[in-house]
Amino acid sequence: MRIGDAKQTYVADEAIWTTSTQKFWFSILLLGLLIFPLLANSYLLYLGCLVGIAVISTTGLNILTGFTGLISLGQAGFMGVGAYTVAWLSTNTGLPFPITLLLAGLMAAAVGFLVGLPSLRVKGLYLAIATLAASVFLHFIFAEWESVTGGMEGLSLEPAHLFGVTFRSDFAMYFLIVPLAVLAVLAARNLFRTRIGRAFIAIRDRDISAEILGIPLLRYKLMSFALSSFYAGVAGGLFAYFYRVVTPESFPLTMSIFYLAAVIVGGMGNLLGGILGAAFMTLVPEALKLLTAALTPFFPNAPVFMSPMLEIIFGALIVGFLIFEPHGLAEIWRRVRRFFHLWPFRS
Amino acid sequence: MFNQLMQKGRQLAGIGSLVTALGLAAPALAQDKEPIVFGGSIPLSGVFAFAGIHGHAGLTDYTDWINSQGGIDGRPVQYVMEDTAYEVDRSVAAFKKITGSYSPPVYYGDSTGFMKSIASELNSMNSMLMSGASFATALTDNEQYPYQFIPGPSYSQMFGIILEYIASEGEGGDMPTVAFVYSDTEFGKDPIENSKARAAELGIDVVEEIVTKPGSVDVSAEVLKLRRVRPDYVVFHGYVLSPINEFMVQMRQMGLDTKFMGTFWSSDKLIIDKMGKDADGYMGIMPYNYYDAEESGPMLDALRAQAEKSDPEAGYRPTAYIQAWFNAMVWTEVIQRTLDAGKELTGDNMAEALASIKDWDTGGIMGIPVTVKDMSFPVGRIWRVNAAEGRYEPVSDWIHLD
Repeated sequence: MRIGDAKQTYVADEAIWTTSTQKFWFSILLLGLLIFPLLANSYLLYLGCLVGIAVISTTGLNILTGFTGLISLGQAGFMGVGAYTVAWLSTNTGLPFPITLLLAGLMAAAVGFLVGLPSLRVKGLYLAIATLAASVFLHFIFAEWESVTGGMEGLSLEPAHLFGVTFRSDFAMYFLIVPLAVLAVLAARNLFRTRIGRAFIAIRDRDISAEILGIPLLRYKLMSFALSSFYAGVAGGLFAYFYRVVTPESFPLTMSIFYLAAVIVGGMGNLLGGILGAAFMTLVPEALKLLTAALTPFFPNAPVFMSPMLEIIFGALIVGFLIFEPHGLAEIWRRVRRFFHLWPFRS
Repeated sequence: MFNQLMQKGRQLAGIGSLVTALGLAAPALAQDKEPIVFGGSIPLSGVFAFAGIHGHAGLTDYTDWINSQGGIDGRPVQYVMEDTAYEVDRSVAAFKKITGSYSPPVYYGDSTGFMKSIASELNSMNSMLMSGASFATALTDNEQYPYQFIPGPSYSQMFGIILEYIASEGEGGDMPTVAFVYSDTEFGKDPIENSKARAAELGIDVVEEIVTKPGSVDVSAEVLKLRRVRPDYVVFHGYVLSPINEFMVQMRQMGLDTKFMGTFWSSDKLIIDKMGKDADGYMGIMPYNYYDAEESGPMLDALRAQAEKSDPEAGYRPTAYIQAWFNAMVWTEVIQRTLDAGKELTGDNMAEALASIKDWDTGGIMGIPVTVKDMSFPVGRIWRVNAAEGRYEPVSDWIHLD
């Protein structure tokens, strides 16, 4: 049982990992992420890459919605901006992936900055509608600006490359996506140790009070939009390299809802929640298929009946979490940790 | 009493085990060769489930039928699928899962998005041929998609067939006019540019183009536009039902004598079922004979018999069922040709076998012998709804584009 964690300096208080136990488990996690591709088959690697992309995008949305309190339905559109930037740059300039991904993030951040302007006047559902409108507008540009985006046909691109190394297979893409996902989460974690991150939280908790305390709402709200969109742009760029084809239909409105659901299910305003939410939303539909696989030997027609049923079960799971654990998966995780911290005593 | 029950239970269990063992052994004895796997990313849920369920039935029934005929080259066929909910990422996941456990030489893709997304991997694998629900024109690009084919005409070719039919209806050089109404999607926009060029070649004036959301209901403004230009034909594309019904009803209420036509996915019984007598006269291009058509042929009869056998209650089988069956027919033909040539089932060899298909008799599925062109089967026929009979009837000969 852990009985205390006294911090005697401000540096210790601000540290990302405050105990040796945390460092130990984080090292185990990194080791697991490193070993995973060596043991996993193509299917699991693919899912690992999908989760990695989802973690980056969800973390970005969590910064905006979970930490700054600005709801957005434009995440898919921002990812689209990143994806098209990577596809266009990769095809027309042949730049290596670190530069294309960085530019994808910056381009999406610039668009996010513009889309965030209405957030100065509106919030809540009104802001959601404003970002939804931006998403529709971006979709229109993806479909109609044919000379750049390829129109409805979209763009195909070559695999990501750097110094002659080509990231073609899922195995290679894993080593591109997952380190970036880890970096993205660590950067976000660092963000909330700074004045900027704390300003975001202050705005979320009470924007008027935050302004009275000297936080310029204009600057910080737009900064949050830009940062969130940067994450989405990088995730979109990785999406483009992963599938190597980008079309306007790659980024539907349902994708924005997917990420918003991931933030809510995982736990708003909690970085771990974003990770768990992204993993939950990506992996649970696949995991539920195991039910069908188990039934098929006994009922050959099981796929026909079970497939729509699984969608219902998935929806019910989300509703169940919202009702029984409104703080999301992160809270469940916190309770599990607390149990082990206090073991053998009851928490 | 309890002991008697237990003894009886043990006896039954023993008999059951023996029967199970024999049951499992029998097919193994009959077909002990390694099965040929048909893989599939199938949309059993999601927005395309209305077709996916029937596509799945078509592939399942074809597999049963071909196995009853001795399989392919003496090898049994095994159909392995996963539901995709019609989402590209889940279709790719299904592909990875299936190809991780099996080595299917052929695969059913559920959408154009999936087919495009998986193309680079397919090209590097060179071990598989893919087709499925997509008729996208892009897939006829052999350079970019060398291992993917279309189980019928592409959408551009469908429009080509429709336009040839319209041109043939022109009397004394007075060519009919046409309007295109299509959805604001990749699916909807697919054939439009090619079709405008083809219409110009045939001397058909495209007097209006209208783009709507798929499933739109309020189309009164668009109908007014069409009333101004009074086209002889309106060709719909990129829809399953709405807003086709809205356009037809409103334009007829305005007294226009325009004829209405649609492509594959909007030419099934759904239009008749939903519109009733208002569907009368609607025309569609269909590359296959309908399940309830008067035509027959050995394969079409086999399809009907197998469908009846697998589900006697099902009745009419939609075009998605026949399309899936035809996919599997082509796979079988391609695999057979490749094996007959003494070659391995690689992507290159199977693509070569596919390209060699010339004047192929499909046993009544398509009404004339067909030849593959640009990885597609550019054949079709115009059918018209007879609402009183509740079915489509042919109004043109089979048209094979050169």
